[in-house]
Amino acid sequence: MKKLAFALGALAVMASATVASAQEKLVISTWGGNWKEGVAIVGKEFTKRTGVEVEYITGGTLDRLAKAKVARDNPESDLVNTTAHVGYLYYSDGLMEKLDWSKIPNAAKLYPMAKRSDYTVADYVYVYTPAFRKDLMPKDFKITSWEDLWSPAVAGKLGLPDFDPSHVIIAATKLAGVKPEEWDKVKPKLLELKKSIKAFYQSDATSQNLMRTGETPVQVLLNINGYHLEKLGMDVEIDVPKEGAVAGTDVWGINANSKKKALAEQFLNIALEPAMLAQLCNFHKCSPMTSEAKLDPEIAKLPGIFTSQEAIEKGAIVLDDKTYATLLPQWKAWFTENMMH
Amino acid sequence: MLARRPFFITFLAPAVLTAVILAAAIFEVLQYSVREFIPGSLNVGGFTLANFAALNKPIYWWVLADTFFISLLTAIFSLLASYPVAYALVRAKKDWVRSALVSLSITPLFTGEIVRTFSWMLTLGTDGFINSMLRKLGVIDMPIQLMYTRFGVVVALVQFSMPVMIILLATAIAHVDRDCEKAAANLGASPSAVFWRITLPLTVPGILSGIVVVFAWTMSAFSTPQLIGGGKILMISNLAYLQGFSVLNLPFAATLSLVALVCALGSLALMKGVTSRIERRLAVN
Repeated sequence: MKKLAFALGALAVMASATVASAQEKLVISTWGGNWKEGVAIVGKEFTKRTGVEVEYITGGTLDRLAKAKVARDNPESDLVNTTAHVGYLYYSDGLMEKLDWSKIPNAAKLYPMAKRSDYTVADYVYVYTPAFRKDLMPKDFKITSWEDLWSPAVAGKLGLPDFDPSHVIIAATKLAGVKPEEWDKVKPKLLELKKSIKAFYQSDATSQNLMRTGETPVQVLLNINGYHLEKLGMDVEIDVPKEGAVAGTDVWGINANSKKKALAEQFLNIALEPAMLAQLCNFHKCSPMTSEAKLDPEIAKLPGIFTSQEAIEKGAIVLDDKTYATLLPQWKAWFTENMMH
Repeated sequence: MLARRPFFITFLAPAVLTAVILAAAIFEVLQYSVREFIPGSLNVGGFTLANFAALNKPIYWWVLADTFFISLLTAIFSLLASYPVAYALVRAKKDWVRSALVSLSITPLFTGEIVRTFSWMLTLGTDGFINSMLRKLGVIDMPIQLMYTRFGVVVALVQFSMPVMIILLATAIAHVDRDCEKAAANLGASPSAVFWRITLPLTVPGILSGIVVVFAWTMSAFSTPQLIGGGKILMISNLAYLQGFSVLNLPFAATLSLVALVCALGSLALMKGVTSRIERRLAVN
């Protein structure tokens, strides 16, 4: 009996120690892999300056959202790093705190477009754009326009993300000269794309795998993944079509009911420092949300990398988060029913 | 019983708790299936039957039919591939052969579904093992399409299901009374006649359980069709996932899940009826 009591006592001490250490940590919800490594660059700097440890909980975009919804009153994380239009879903459902910009002075250095809402702030831009394996496509093959994805040369070779068909839909509306909201008009055009599609990828990893194995030598992919493939020695050409690549942004938000709001604001301010953004974007090869962040010249000249808001507006198709978030379910449902089977 | 043996309550408690949690989860799915989807919001609206009405589109019937077809093919091919292995496993004379067969057939159970699916991707891919071998042997000039096809999905699912099928068949074969086989042989039956007319009929209960288990298992397959099918081959669970976690249409995902559950239970009930009839007929004969 004494032994049992001792064991239970020890367990209680261990449990309280865990709770105590958890109280001293700032918890960040982000994606796994490279994305977490990127956030960890800021995390290390934050710990260096404040002495507060950072803990990361990782997962996919939507399962993290689902978890946040379930843990609304007692959030598992203090800060969320997610895609801008998913950020809209967080704050429209009351899952994010309103940001107090006076506590995040570095936000003033960002492009105006970086303040996505009262609840979310973007730190960088990436694009979804066509890319292809030069060694697996005809020598004269080029992608200068999104229209090229419909060409016979791409038949049975195209890979698209299964989680987000918005890129080709937005591109099709651009080609047709209509607004994304009028996407009904481009349905016949989209159905014609079926002959080009070979497979759908589920994640960055499967996108890279399909390109590596040559299963889908043409893809609409995240430019960051494309650069990664190039780094691995693959003969990949990433093209920004004349209509523009489809821009995406990742945002930060503070979880509603976070008990460490002040620390979260401190973290955000460090994350948005130009030097920090330069470090992050040199790591990911993406475009920082401020021209004060100086990229490596080699990275700055890559296709899909922008160094000013004007360049983003000229070279990328940008959709506001609310439109994106409300249209995406319709696009996705239609795509699943008509394009995937 | 409970009054005489009160500890039974303690033993029953975990099972009752699990059943209650499962029932609560199914009730939650049920109530989500009759709620309205609000695009761009995580919240659901009022009660509606629109989600069930939305099922009346060819795509959903196709996916259901495909799920049923793939599950049936997987069960049949698993049986064909597993029976010889299970037979050798039980009847091998040498211990090391039996040990090797046990290791080879059961080990895949200890590797995750994702790991096994990835290894099939490497095998079936355009530059995968099969295509590379066939090209080197001069059998083909251009790679044949194995990934993103029903064939590829079924092959991977068969390999995934084989360990379970082998265990069920080996149990059935081990229970065959060898004296019946010896009697048939003494009466002049050839080894193949002994197998087809004695051994195989006596293992029918194991065969039927194997088919039912693998069929039901495959009805809920997710990662294999997701990765090998590459979005081109959809099973009902993939469709529910896409609606729930991609479209965020949780009410419709719940409706699809409910339909999948009803179809799986219905198929099992149907199979149970068929297997009972077969078993009764065999018992009479």
